[in-house]
Amino acid sequence: MLTLARILILAGVILIGVPYILVGIGMVVGTMGMNDLFQMTQTIVIGVLIGGLYALIGIGMTLIMGVMGIINLAHGQILMTSMYVTFVSFKYFGLDPYVSILITMPCLFLVALFIGRYLLDPLIGRESILPENQVLMTVGIGLCLTEIMRFIFSSNYQSVRTSYANKAYYIGSVSFNYPLTIAFFIALMLTVGLFLFLMKTDIGRAIRATAQDKEAATLMGIPQRKITFSTYALGSALDAAAGTLLLPVYYLFPDLGGPFTLKAFVITILGGLGSTVGAILGGLTLGVYESLGATFVSMGYKDAVGMVIFLLVLTFIPGGLKRVTKI
Amino acid sequence: MKKTLKWLTVVLTGICLMSLSFPLSSAAQSIKVGVILPLTGEKAAFGEIEKNSFVMALDEINKAGGVKGSKIELLIEDDTGKPDVARGATEKLVSKDNVVMLGGGYGSSETYAIAGVAQQKKLPLLVNTGSADKITEQGWNYVFRLNPPVSEYSAAAESFLKEVAKPKAAAILFENTLFGTSGSKEFEKSCKELGIQVPIKEGYEHGAVDFKPLLIKVKNANPDLIYMISYIMDASLLMRQSMELDINPKLFIGGAAGFTLPEFLQNAGKASEGVFSADLWVPSLPYPGAMNYYSNYKKLYGKVTEYHGAEAYAAMYVIADVLKRAKSYSPEDIRAALTTTDMMTVFGKVKFISYGKKINQNKLPTYLVQWLKGKLECVWPKEYATAKYLYPHKPWKQR
Repeated sequence: MLTLARILILAGVILIGVPYILVGIGMVVGTMGMNDLFQMTQTIVIGVLIGGLYALIGIGMTLIMGVMGIINLAHGQILMTSMYVTFVSFKYFGLDPYVSILITMPCLFLVALFIGRYLLDPLIGRESILPENQVLMTVGIGLCLTEIMRFIFSSNYQSVRTSYANKAYYIGSVSFNYPLTIAFFIALMLTVGLFLFLMKTDIGRAIRATAQDKEAATLMGIPQRKITFSTYALGSALDAAAGTLLLPVYYLFPDLGGPFTLKAFVITILGGLGSTVGAILGGLTLGVYESLGATFVSMGYKDAVGMVIFLLVLTFIPGGLKRVTKI
Repeated sequence: MKKTLKWLTVVLTGICLMSLSFPLSSAAQSIKVGVILPLTGEKAAFGEIEKNSFVMALDEINKAGGVKGSKIELLIEDDTGKPDVARGATEKLVSKDNVVMLGGGYGSSETYAIAGVAQQKKLPLLVNTGSADKITEQGWNYVFRLNPPVSEYSAAAESFLKEVAKPKAAAILFENTLFGTSGSKEFEKSCKELGIQVPIKEGYEHGAVDFKPLLIKVKNANPDLIYMISYIMDASLLMRQSMELDINPKLFIGGAAGFTLPEFLQNAGKASEGVFSADLWVPSLPYPGAMNYYSNYKKLYGKVTEYHGAEAYAAMYVIADVLKRAKSYSPEDIRAALTTTDMMTVFGKVKFISYGKKINQNKLPTYLVQWLKGKLECVWPKEYATAKYLYPHKPWKQR
């Protein structure tokens, strides 16, 4: 745990330090002023807050990746489904989105458990033309989820309008968006909880063992297949939490899944496949640099900046941040 | 046994497929018109309002006897808000369904794709919304446009700026699609003519979660005017996040599209109050049937309609009128009838003229509307105003 904290702090310093050093140089040279410093701070605050959510999405994906060895291409769609569950519980039962995490997480856990048990598990070890038929299956699941939601809720945009959705508090003149800050801390709590679960409990140990070596795990008496599809459900539940936290600041429509699957994919690769700490760093990096790119390059190139970072990481640290963090 | 079963399946499938490809002969009596609209995807809200209006007008026309005794049949295809799908849908309507003419076209990028196919296949197309200037600037003689091009959307807003607001600096934010880019270029040009500086002009990719990085830049530049060209959800988020960051220019103006839909009010909530928008139509305009259309739509669908719907409704009547006047239903005769169109609709006078680089373009006045106490009121030009404009914008924190 100690090394973990150290890595996170170090990475944070590098992540946020570099832009500040640049502004510092700018101020010394005289081309930048206090205004730019404020602008930079605000941009980084926004990036970190959204990065917390990205991290939560990424952790779910990387967990599935690590244990099942597949890329879950239905990740964004699961996020979308959880947002619809949140939407329904807000609109028809008047539940606050943050309370409904308690519903969406178990709900999506069960859905994903079903998917894992009856749709993905039977494909393990089957001979096929393409070795990755589970990945293809997740694409199909994603499509189905999208179309089912479209069938029930139509393509209309929906949003949850809470009283605090656009409240912000100010430290100095830097504004912190209320829902995003709450989301950030809930994401943090869930992540810490996940770590404790993986490190301290028997099931957690079994999951890690399965991720490291399936056959050895079986020899140790671990019900490897059960663990595998339960992990799919666990990853999806985390994803569901991210969806619920995202809804108050964003909006909702059935086609929303695709872009988020892509984001999750990028975060997972950034972090190094299967690395949980890497996913956290990957999420934060993506959040901060997207936001820096939007402010200092152009909003139109926001995604391009994220992709450039992605390419740089792939080129210079091909194993992702996992190579640096070793976890 | 197994083999027989296999053969049986193949034969049965074959029969099923064949019966699908022969349409029922009863449809032969009606005149088929193809309409391409975004019914799903990000622009579905607009597609829905337009489809409803098309269908409403169609029912009225068919009830009144249709065209020369035969009914019009609309084949509505979904372009899902993507140009490649729009292209495919158009090709299907033209070559498989054999429609006599085409209508629809919502997003500019999609409309451009549709217009390309229509011209290539020489089938008349009446565009009702797709508004990027270049669609009617290609010399495509089979493409007609009912609505004004996006460069003219802001005409009323400009006269308001000139006579009332007189801002010194403007920020222009736009979605980096054909519609946004083309509109922002024109507005920047008009700003120069009015002597307004443009310190920030920036495009964005639609569907962003967070516009704040962009808005911080705007806040730092502190303009008097923020002009935005956005579709519905981006429009709502831009306003909500402007409120959150406490950005207080003297006025916010939206370039039509997302800013006039009832969904904008729903999603932006409090942040919609006092936002201006360019608009092409309001129900209180002195056009015959405008108010009727508005109230009938509300009765029929339980929702409010706005300029997109009026465009579609008017387009359906223009199509019916053209088919009535056409000598035959050959593309050439329909095209000839379109060029001589001169009629009054709920959307205003429709007459296709050529000016500047444009051909077959309808010319209409535009209006400036404002969200006041949750209602969209026409505030400019004065002779059509339904309410007094609220200017300057009240700072968010004082509300």
